Amino acid sequence: MSTAQSYLRQWQLMLPLALFFCVFIFLPLLLLAYISLHNDMEFKQAGIAQYIKFLGDSFNLGVLGQTLWLATKTMLLALLLGYPLAYFFTLAPPRWQRVLILIIVLPLLTSAVVRTFAWVVILGRQGIVNSVLLNLAWIEAPIKLLYTPGAVVVALAQIEMPLMVLPIINALSKQNPYLREASLSLGAGRWRTLFLVTLPLSLPGVLAGALLVFAAAASAFVTQTLVGGGQLMFMPFYIYQQAIQSNNYPFAAAIAMVLLVAVLVVVTLVNFAGRSIKGVAHA
Amino acid sequence: MQAIGLNLTGISHRYASAYAVADVDLQVRPGELVALLGPSGCGKTTLLRIVAGLIRQTEGNVIIGDRIVDSLPTHERGAGIVFQNYALFPHMTVAANIGYGLRAAGVGKAQISAMVERMLALVKLEAMAGRYPRELSGGQQQRVALARTLAVSPKILLLDEPFGALDKNLRLDMQIEVKRLQRELGITTVMVTHDQEEALSMADRIAVMNKGCVEQFGTPEEVYDQPETLFVAGFVGTSNLLPGTLATIAAAGPTVALAGGGTLVLPSARPCSVPGPVVLSLRPEHLRFARADEPGVDATLQLSLPLGALTVHELALGNGQAVKVIAPRTGEAARHAPGDQVRLALTAGAAPAVFLGNPDAA
Repeated sequence: MSTAQSYLRQWQLMLPLALFFCVFIFLPLLLLAYISLHNDMEFKQAGIAQYIKFLGDSFNLGVLGQTLWLATKTMLLALLLGYPLAYFFTLAPPRWQRVLILIIVLPLLTSAVVRTFAWVVILGRQGIVNSVLLNLAWIEAPIKLLYTPGAVVVALAQIEMPLMVLPIINALSKQNPYLREASLSLGAGRWRTLFLVTLPLSLPGVLAGALLVFAAAASAFVTQTLVGGGQLMFMPFYIYQQAIQSNNYPFAAAIAMVLLVAVLVVVTLVNFAGRSIKGVAHA
Repeated sequence: MQAIGLNLTGISHRYASAYAVADVDLQVRPGELVALLGPSGCGKTTLLRIVAGLIRQTEGNVIIGDRIVDSLPTHERGAGIVFQNYALFPHMTVAANIGYGLRAAGVGKAQISAMVERMLALVKLEAMAGRYPRELSGGQQQRVALARTLAVSPKILLLDEPFGALDKNLRLDMQIEVKRLQRELGITTVMVTHDQEEALSMADRIAVMNKGCVEQFGTPEEVYDQPETLFVAGFVGTSNLLPGTLATIAAAGPTVALAGGGTLVLPSARPCSVPGPVVLSLRPEHLRFARADEPGVDATLQLSLPLGALTVHELALGNGQAVKVIAPRTGEAARHAPGDQVRLALTAGAAPAVFLGNPDAA
C-alpha cells in the first residue's frame, strides 16, 4: 500500500471525531466569538466594545490575573506532589502498581462536584481539619480555611492530580531503565541520578502534565466557586455571572474569549520554552 | 593502574522459588578477561548484575580486591558496567556522557575535560565530542559507552552482551578493539555472552554456565578440548554426541561400541572411564574418511558443503543418526560423492570426550 493510500485511510478514520469537533466545539466557539463582537445586548450593533470594556477595567484584569495565578499555583503544587508519586509508581513492583494506578485515577472516576463537596467538608469551620486541630488544642478557635485562595489551590491540585501524574508516569515508564543503572554504576548516587538523568528525561511528560493541570485549573468552575466562595472571583464564575445573572451575553462571551486566548498563550509559551530545552524533546 | 582481582564465593540467587544462580564460586585474577558463557536464562546476566550491585544476591559474597562489597550500593562499588544497549544518556553530548561519572564524583572541570579528551583519543572518537548519541552509529555508541565507563577508572569492568547489537563485520572490529583496550589498561574484566566464538576468541578464561551453575571454568583450549560435562561439549563448538557402550579391552584400550553401529578405539576415556552406557562427544575434526580396510564406523555420505580450504560433510550412521565431519578439501574425502558408503575413523591425536548418560541431557 502506498503512503498516500494509507494516509487516506487514516483520514477517513478521523472523520467521525472531526465532524463531532466541528459541530460541538468549533461551531459553538465561532458562535461565541460572533456574540462577543456585539456592542449591545440585543446583538444589533457589531463592534469590539466588549473587549475594550474588559481590557480597560482594572477589576476585570484583576480577575484574569487572579485566575491565571491560581492556575499557576495549582500547577506547581500538583507537580510538587505528583512527580514523587509518579516516580514512586514506576519503581513499585507490578502488584503494587495495579493498586496505585487505581488510587491515582480515582479522582477521575468521581464527579467534580462530589470531590469539591468533600473538600468543603474537610476545610469547613466544623470540618475535619479544624476539629482535629481543636482537639489537639493546637488552635483555640476554628481557623478560616474554606473560601481562601489557598484552599482553592489545594482542592484543585488534588482534583486535577491525575492529569499531572499520568503523563509523568507515561514519560518515566518509557525511559530506558538501564540509564538509571548506568548512572549508578558510574558512581552517581540515587539523588544525583534522579536530578541528572531521570528528571531531565521525563520533562516532556512534566510539560504535558503541567499544561493540562494549568488549563483545567483555570476553568474549574465548580471547585473555584464552591471552595473559593463568593468573595473570590475567577473568570469562569465571572462568565456565569454575566451570562446567567446579568443576561449580558456579549460581555460574557468576550470574557470567555479572553480566558481562552490567555490560556492558549500561556500554553503555547510554556510549550515553546519546553521544546527548546536541548536534547530533551528527542529523548 | 594496579589491576584488582574479583572473587565470588558461594553466590546463589533466588527469584521467588527458582534459583537463577546456584552456588557459584569464581576467582577472576587481576587483569584477566573472563567470559560468562551460556544459553539465555542460564543466570550469567544475573551473576553480572550481582557483581555490579544492581541485584543483591540471596547468599554468598562478592569480593573486589580484598574487600567484601555485598553491603555497598552500586555507585560505591567501583564496578563499571557496559550494557548491551549502551544506555548512553540521550540528553547529553558524547563529551558530557564520558565526563558524567567524574562530574558525579565532583571532579574539577579542567580535570574532567582532560580525561574526556584522553578517553576520546583512546576510543578514536575525537571528532564526535559535540555529537549526541542518536547521531552516532552503533559501533560509535558502543565506543562511547566503553569510554564513559573507563573514564571513572573502575576496579572491575563488566560487559553485558557488549556486541549483541552490532552486525557481524562491526562486531569483529569491536571485539578486537575491546580486547586491545582491555590489554592496554590491564583492567580486570567480566564479559557476559551467549556467543561461544566471542568467548573463545576474547576471553583468557571461560566460565560455561547452565541452569545457574558453572559447569566448567577454564581456558578456551581446555573448555574446547577437554569439556568436563556433556553440556559443555554440546554448547561450546560443534559436537557429534553419539550414544554407545564403553568397554575397556586390555590390548586395545578404551573402546566405544556406537549405538549407530561400529566401534571406535579411543586414546583415553575421559572424563568418564566407567564401562557401560556412555555418550561420545566427537568434534567434526576428530573424524576422518578412512580407507575401507581400516577399522572404524560405516556411514552414508549425504551432503558436502565446501568452505574454502575445508569441507563440512554431513553423514548418517547405520541407525540414521547424523554426524558432521570437517576434512580438508583434498585427500580421501574428495573421492566420495553424496550417497556413497564410507568408513570413518578417528584423526591422529583426536581425544574425544566420554560422558556418562544419554545425549538428550545436553
